[in-house]
Amino acid sequence: MPPAASSSSSSTWVEPTKDDKPPKDADLKTAWAFLQVGVEHMMSRMHLGMSYSYYILLFTAVYDFCTQPGKASQPFSANRGGASLQGSDLYRSLHNWLSEHCKKMRVDSENLSDLELLKFYATQWDRYTTGARYVNKLFNYLNKHWVKREKDEGRKEVYTVYTLALVAWKQNFFRHFTVSSAGMSRLTQAVLRQIEQQRDGEVIDSTLLKKVIDSYVSLGLDEADAQRQNLDVYREYFQTPFLSTTEHYYRAESAAFVGSNSVSDYMKKAEARLQEEADRVNLYLHDSTRTDLKVKCENVLIAEHNNIMWNEFQSLLDADRVDDLSRMYGLLSRIVGGLDPLREKFGEHVKKAGQAAVEKVLPAPGATTETGKAETLDPKAYIEALLEVHSKYTEVVEGPFRAEMGFNKSLDQACRDFCNQNAAATTSTRSPELLASYCDQLLRKSNKDLDAESLEAALNQTMIIFKFIDDKDVFQKFYQKKLAQRLVGSLSASDDSESSMITKLKEVSGFDYTNKLSRMFTDVNLSKDLSERFKDKERTQGVSIDIDFSPLVLGTNFWPLAPQQTDFNIPREIRSTFDRFTAFHNEVHQGRKLTWLWHVSKNELRTTYLPQKYIFMTSSYQMAILTQFNENDSLSYNEILTGTKIAEGILKPQLALLVKAKVLLQEGENYDLNLNFKSKKIRVQLNQAVKSEQKQEAKEVLQAVDEDRKFIYQATIVRLMKGRKTMQHQALIQEVTAQISSKFTPKIPEIKKAIDYLIDKEYLERSAESNNT
Amino acid sequence: MSDKKQQVILQTSDDEQFTVEKIVAERSAMIKSMMEDLGEQEGQAIPLPNVSSSVLTKILEYCDHHKNEPLPAADSSDADDSRRKTSEIGEWDARWIQVDQEMLFEIILAANYLDIKPLLDVGCKTVANMIKGKTPEEIRKLFNITNDFTPEEEEQIRKENEWAEE
Repeated sequence: MPPAASSSSSSTWVEPTKDDKPPKDADLKTAWAFLQVGVEHMMSRMHLGMSYSYYILLFTAVYDFCTQPGKASQPFSANRGGASLQGSDLYRSLHNWLSEHCKKMRVDSENLSDLELLKFYATQWDRYTTGARYVNKLFNYLNKHWVKREKDEGRKEVYTVYTLALVAWKQNFFRHFTVSSAGMSRLTQAVLRQIEQQRDGEVIDSTLLKKVIDSYVSLGLDEADAQRQNLDVYREYFQTPFLSTTEHYYRAESAAFVGSNSVSDYMKKAEARLQEEADRVNLYLHDSTRTDLKVKCENVLIAEHNNIMWNEFQSLLDADRVDDLSRMYGLLSRIVGGLDPLREKFGEHVKKAGQAAVEKVLPAPGATTETGKAETLDPKAYIEALLEVHSKYTEVVEGPFRAEMGFNKSLDQACRDFCNQNAAATTSTRSPELLASYCDQLLRKSNKDLDAESLEAALNQTMIIFKFIDDKDVFQKFYQKKLAQRLVGSLSASDDSESSMITKLKEVSGFDYTNKLSRMFTDVNLSKDLSERFKDKERTQGVSIDIDFSPLVLGTNFWPLAPQQTDFNIPREIRSTFDRFTAFHNEVHQGRKLTWLWHVSKNELRTTYLPQKYIFMTSSYQMAILTQFNENDSLSYNEILTGTKIAEGILKPQLALLVKAKVLLQEGENYDLNLNFKSKKIRVQLNQAVKSEQKQEAKEVLQAVDEDRKFIYQATIVRLMKGRKTMQHQALIQEVTAQISSKFTPKIPEIKKAIDYLIDKEYLERSAESNNT
Repeated sequence: MSDKKQQVILQTSDDEQFTVEKIVAERSAMIKSMMEDLGEQEGQAIPLPNVSSSVLTKILEYCDHHKNEPLPAADSSDADDSRRKTSEIGEWDARWIQVDQEMLFEIILAANYLDIKPLLDVGCKTVANMIKGKTPEEIRKLFNITNDFTPEEEEQIRKENEWAEE
C-alpha cells in the first residue's frame, strides 16, 4: 500500500482500550477481531507507535485465548487429551490474515517493473519483516506452547509466527513474480537488469539490490529446522539465472573485446572484470555465490581465451614485458592447467636464451689466434654468460611469476639443460671443466681486479651453476687438480676464499664430496709446520743455507698428483738439502714413504754469468738442466740426458722451452748457454706448462673420473645387493640410477658393465631361473 | 539505559501501581521484549490484567532478589536442561516459596504469563517435591482432586506403571 494511504489512515487511528478487550473466555471470532486490529497496526503502521497498555491487552488476549480450558475445536492436537492449548484456530486465523495481506501487496505490485518494482519490493519487505518481528513477540505465548508442541510432535507445516509470516510472503507474494515469459521471476529480472546496467558502467543503488537479494536468502526456509539457513530459494530464484546471464554477458563482451584489442589490453580488462565481480559479491550478493561466480567468470574470461594468451606468451617473453607477464600469470593461475603451457614455454625459452648466450661468447669457428691455434673458449666469459641468463630469468620468475613452484622447476630444468648441453659444451664434461677453470681464475693470486667481497659474490654465483651441473664428479676432479696447482704453487689469492668455496661445495654435495679438497688444504698447513721445524733444525745444526728450501709434504691419497715415470739425477747443488730433509722426514714420520714430485716443484735460480742479474723461475727439470751448465757453457743433448737422467719425453720439451726463451742456444745436438741473454724483467718465468701437457691433463682428469665412476657403480651395486640379497635386474638398475644421480648422470650401459664385472669377480651371480640377479 | 535507576510502573488487575527498577521488571521476558519493541514510554504504566497486587508483591520480591543475575537466553528452553532436571531449589528461593497452596499456584500462573522462566521452574519444582514419595490417594487429598477413575482403569494404570514401583 502506498505511504500516502497509510498516513491518512493514521490520522484516524485510535488505540482500542481495555473496554474493547474480549473477555477471557471469548470465542475465536471475538478474540481474533480484537487481535486482527492490533496485528494490522503492527504490520503497517508501527511507526505511529503503540502504548504499553494496548500491547499488554493484545498479549493478554493471546494468552487468555491459548489458556482457555479445552474445547473440542482442536483437530491438530486432539490426541493431547486435556491439554488446553487452543493455538490452532488462532494460528490459522493469523495465517489467513498474513496471506491476505501479502496478496494485497501483490496486486499493488502488478503494474510495476524494474527499478520501481525493486523499490516497492524493498520497502514492503522492510516494513513487513519489521512488523512480523513485533507480531512474533506478541504471539510469543502461542510460539512457546502451541507451536512448540506441534513441532515436537513432528508436524512439518507449523512454524513460529515470524517464519509463518515469511512463508506467507513467499507463497502469496514472492512466488507470483514468476509469470514472465522467460520463466524467470520479474523481480529477479529487475535485479539482473540493474546489475547489467552497473556492468555497463552506470551507477545503481546497491543497497536496494542488497535488500532484495537478502530477502531471497531469508526466504530460504528449512522445513525441519528454522534456525538453519537454507539457500534453495536464493539459488533457484537468483543465483542460477544470475550466473547464466553473467556468463552470457561476459562471453559476448570478451569475444567482442578480443576481436578489436590487443591481448595485453584484454588481460587488463579481464583482470578488472574479475575484481568487479569479486566486489559485487561483497557488496550485495550472498557469500555462497562467490565460488560459483568466480569459476564462471574465470571460465568465460580466461579459460575460453587461454589459447590467445598462451600464444601471446612467447612474444611477451621476447620483449620482456614484465607487467603483462605478471598479469597473464595472475589470470592463468586461476584456472586449472592454465599455467602448464606457460611453464613449458618458459623452460624452452630459457633454454634457448642460455644456448644463445653461449653461442655469443663462443669464438667464431673460423677464428684463430696469431699462433695459428684455434681460439679457446674463455671460461670466464662462458660462466658469466650462463649466469646472466640465469639471473635474468630468476628475476622473471620471482617478479611476474611470484616465485611459483612450477616456474622455478621449469627454470631449474632449463638451466640444467643449457648448462650441460650447449654449443660450447658438446659433452657433459665440458661445463664442469670450464666451471672449474673459472673458479681457478677467480681464486688465483693473479686475479687482482676483485676485492674479497666481490670475490665471495662471484664464488656464490659459481655455486649456482654448480648446482645445475650433472657431472659433479668431473668438476670435483678438475677442481681438485686446479686446487693442487694453486696450493703447491702458492698461487691462492686467499685461504679464506679457498675454504669458503670448499664450505659451499660441502653444503651442496656433502662431506664426502669435499673431503679430499679439505684434506689437501690441511696438508698444506701441516707441511708448512713441518718445513718450519726442518728449518729450525737446520739452523740449530749450523748448516749454512744458501738454498731457500720449502718442501710440501702431502698425503698421496688426497692429491691428484702422480710421480712422472722418469729417473732423475738430483743436481749436486741441492743434493745435500735433499738428503737432510729425507732423513728429517723419516725421523718425524716413520714408515711413510716420501716420493719427490719434481715436476710440480719450482725453483728460482740466480744468474751469475750475465752482466745483469736475472732470477730464472724454473721447474726442477729446468733447474737440473741449467745447473749442468754451471760447469760448461756448451753441452750436447746426450750429455744433458746422462747428466740429468730425465726421460727423453720430458727432457725434450723442457729444453725447447729454454731455447725458446733464449736462455740456451741450440746448434744441432749442442746446446750453448746464451751469454748475451737479455730480458726486460729481472724475474724470468721459464716454468711454462707445455701445451701438450695441458691437453693431456684434461684427458687424464677425465680418465680418472671414469675410473672413479666404475668404482662408484660397483660400490653402489654391492651395497644394494648386500641389503637385498636378490633383486630384479631392472629394479637394481633403477635403484643404482637413483642413488648415483646426485653425483653425476649415470649411464645404464655402464651400470650393466659394472654388474657384469662383479659377476665375473663372483661377487654376484645370476639366479638360475629368470633374469634375477 | 544510561540511567541506572530507570523506573517503570506496573499496574495490577486491582489497579494498584508499583514503581520498580527497570531491571527488576525486566526479569519478565514479556515486559522486557515489549519495552524493546515499543521503546521508552516515560510515565506510562504497564497494566498487568492477569496479576493481582498480592501476587505481584510476592513476585517482585523474587525479581528484586535476582535482579543482577544473567537472564536466560530467549530460546534456551532446552539449553539449560541441567538446571531444570534437578529438583534442587536455592536456599533463598526455598524459603521464599514457603507459601500456601493457593498463592503457590497463583505464582506459577503469573510466572507463566509474565514469562519468568526461573521462577516458573522454582514453582513447578516445589509442586513436584510436594508430590514426591506420596501415594495417589495422598496426592488426591493434597490437591483436592476427586478420583474419577473406575477401579478397572486404576488397575490397568497400575499394571502399566509397575516398573516404576520401588
